[in-house]
Amino acid sequence: MVEARIDGKSASIEAAAERSAEILSRARLPVIAGLGTDIAGARGAILLAERLRGAYDHMQSDKIFTNLDVNRQAGLMCTTPNEARHRADVLVFIGKDLTRIWPQLVERLAPGEIPMFDLPHEPRKIVWIAPGRSAAELKGIAVETLDSSDLHATLGALRARVADKPITAAKGAKRKIDEVAEILKKARFGVAIWGEELLDRLAIEMLHGLILDLNKSTRFSGLPLGADANSTGVTQASGWMTGVPMRTSFGRGYPEHDTWRFDANRMIESGEADAALWISAYGQKAPDWKKQVPLVALVPPQTRFFQEPQVLVEVGCPGIDHDGAEFSRELGTIVARKASHPSDAPSVAAIINRIAQQIGGDA
Amino acid sequence: MLILLKGGRLIDPLNARDEIADLWIEDGRIVAPPQGRQPDQTHDVAGKIVMAGAIDIHSHIAGGNVNTARLLLPELHRTARPGELSLATAKWSTFETGNIYAAMGFTTVVEPAVAPHQALQAHLELSDIPIIDKATLTVLGNDDFLLSLLRDGEGPAAIADYVAATLAASNGLGLKCINAGGATAFKYNARTFGLDDVVPFYDVASRKILEALQRAIQDLKVPHPLHVHCNNLGVPGNVSTAIATIEAARGLPLHLAHLQFYGYGDEGDHGFSSAAAALAAAVNAAPNVSVDVGQVMFQQTVTISSDVLRQFNGVSSAKPRKSVIYDGDANGGGIVPYLYRESDFVNAVQWACGLELFLLINDPWRVFFTTDHPNGAPFTAYPDVFALLMSREARAEAAARVPQDALAHSTLPSIAREYNLNEIAIMTRAAPAKLFGFKDRGHLGEGGIADVAVYSPDKDIAKMFRAAHLVFKDGDLVVRDGRVAHYRWGKALKVNPGYDKAIDRRLAGYYERHFGVSHNMFAVPEHILPHSDPFQEVACAQ
Repeated sequence: MVEARIDGKSASIEAAAERSAEILSRARLPVIAGLGTDIAGARGAILLAERLRGAYDHMQSDKIFTNLDVNRQAGLMCTTPNEARHRADVLVFIGKDLTRIWPQLVERLAPGEIPMFDLPHEPRKIVWIAPGRSAAELKGIAVETLDSSDLHATLGALRARVADKPITAAKGAKRKIDEVAEILKKARFGVAIWGEELLDRLAIEMLHGLILDLNKSTRFSGLPLGADANSTGVTQASGWMTGVPMRTSFGRGYPEHDTWRFDANRMIESGEADAALWISAYGQKAPDWKKQVPLVALVPPQTRFFQEPQVLVEVGCPGIDHDGAEFSRELGTIVARKASHPSDAPSVAAIINRIAQQIGGDA
Repeated sequence: MLILLKGGRLIDPLNARDEIADLWIEDGRIVAPPQGRQPDQTHDVAGKIVMAGAIDIHSHIAGGNVNTARLLLPELHRTARPGELSLATAKWSTFETGNIYAAMGFTTVVEPAVAPHQALQAHLELSDIPIIDKATLTVLGNDDFLLSLLRDGEGPAAIADYVAATLAASNGLGLKCINAGGATAFKYNARTFGLDDVVPFYDVASRKILEALQRAIQDLKVPHPLHVHCNNLGVPGNVSTAIATIEAARGLPLHLAHLQFYGYGDEGDHGFSSAAAALAAAVNAAPNVSVDVGQVMFQQTVTISSDVLRQFNGVSSAKPRKSVIYDGDANGGGIVPYLYRESDFVNAVQWACGLELFLLINDPWRVFFTTDHPNGAPFTAYPDVFALLMSREARAEAAARVPQDALAHSTLPSIAREYNLNEIAIMTRAAPAKLFGFKDRGHLGEGGIADVAVYSPDKDIAKMFRAAHLVFKDGDLVVRDGRVAHYRWGKALKVNPGYDKAIDRRLAGYYERHFGVSHNMFAVPEHILPHSDPFQEVACAQ
């Protein structure tokens, strides 16, 4: 049974779509936020944002832009999880949060395996920088750890030593840095793996510089882990549809991208946005805004809100309730996932189409 | 609905027509003049040029690498005005791409470099390009599965089956090979890679990869011959690589992409010169070979290529100074923004070299019109390239502005040839249809789909080609005076060669072992794409 509610009371999908259209088209500047959905849902949401002359953002934008801002400032060298698994003779894990960000990290990258594409076919070297307690997860595998209380300083020191430049550090610390620098320089195809929570822009830019330097004489690449809720897939869809990523507004009738102005949280809290469509199909996540605005929510059953949304439609999860295209972290590309437990729960795209139909020619 | 285009000059090289005549359209097709019936809609096109919709054979309009370039360079494509149609003015978006192509009278465009593992994204992007039909070329030649087959000495049948299974899964129209083995060699830290260099780990020479894929396409009877991006792109003296590759074709069909980037000698003070005359002579002498040019024009652009080795070597010349180098599962890719400058010696040689190839290759059926969008120039520069080809005077004016020593080793100033409209129609309509085995387009004959472009002749040739007077897609009038009236959604053209399904079982095992996933994870299911019935099959020869 498909569930929809208007002001907390059961309603038909039809009535919910009609009320949603009213709320969103009446707003001066509506924002589509959350955007945890498959490609079809993102596509529908962006076209709806254009019709509404609203803005759109993703719940994981902060993490996405931590990397993307460095990319579009300085560039990027990156590879796929599969190349890291089968080719890398050196894996450099950075940060204690990697297995929390990607629970399948160890299973997918198989650090204990001998990389099959490596010419000498030797056991690989594993380095973990700022591991906290997470190096213990590599049971039975030798790990060279490098503790760090300041990643900027550690990565900077490593980069300096890779380039044979002097650093100032205590003798023991310097010897450790030199050992790791030596492993990096001797790598045939090394891969650095990082997450976008612990590492900030400055750290990622330093790491990018280190990877560029290493490629002067050997091969080295990167594997940023990205964030969940199909944030990478939504970034891609936004890129081809509008030319730019999320945090984009159609307020002037054409896409304008600005990571500060069109941050959905800021728009809501400042009162600039006066209605919101919240989308979270991958998990029971509600917005944590303090400010209240007329809210339409497309979420899984049992999602808890601080304040009941004006309209709520329960949607299915891509790849579980219905087929969907999404970015696959394990393959590093957009894939089609078949529904594992097909159900009647509607897709985000289906509900957005209903809302868009209600808006019709008036938008 | 019966539509009449009345009294235009029909230029239709496939049917050997160039005459003033009426053209009739009904139900999306070109039809014979109907007896005793009145048209529902008449367009007086007296004094206008009527051609089939143009076909672009090589333009990077979709896929992971293109999208990475979009995301890398927001400053190069800020949108500044609203459009009447959805996302029509969103700079460098899929939507804008369809709008601009349609306005120029292009109705079919081939995206020439889709990695099998990124086929779904490429088709999702193509689905969001309105109006035009599309197609993709699937890239092989740096993938472990193929290189392993070659290393293990497997026969042509296994390779053909693998190629066919990959084309089927990725919904490709043909096969592309990009610096065969070079991207893989780069992963083993090779910094140069030539036709007779050997891929480490596999002990397979680049030449052998090329020959194997060329043979597979031949055996599968895929209409489009192997589409080749040679080794040593952009390197001074690389004309010898291009000529060696033509020889390596051994008289069998082969298409060489963006030949301009291989037309370089190493003469003169800069050690860099146009060797276009020698290269054009080699093409003229090899009737089995077709080429497209990849013309350079002087403006800001971004180079997007799956030749990751070449792109890595180009990083230091990036402008703005940032690049993406991606070591993919097979080819990967590199995104390097670049500014072609009129005052730059090297860029001027490249510009001249492209024009020389256009003008010195005699057979317009074998030389195709491309800028390798966006690598030589964005496709929006096409009208200006047409103008240079059709006017010696326009070329002389442009040539006067470049460093004159760049032309010292070039034949350009001495070339008098001017393309006529018939030759333009061959190069952009008739010959592409032949090249891809399209029976239903590229011509104005009865039964063809009614993709028709009508131009208003103008002294300003670029103006004439920038904004078509009328464009019909499948008989639907979509463009009037360069303005797109409404959207419709085209097909992606693909081949479906038969093969021994035993290879599917081998691939299933391989993907389980190497990727820990089902091979189906890389498929492009129709129902995942946003429009119904997204594909149209192009028949392979029997």
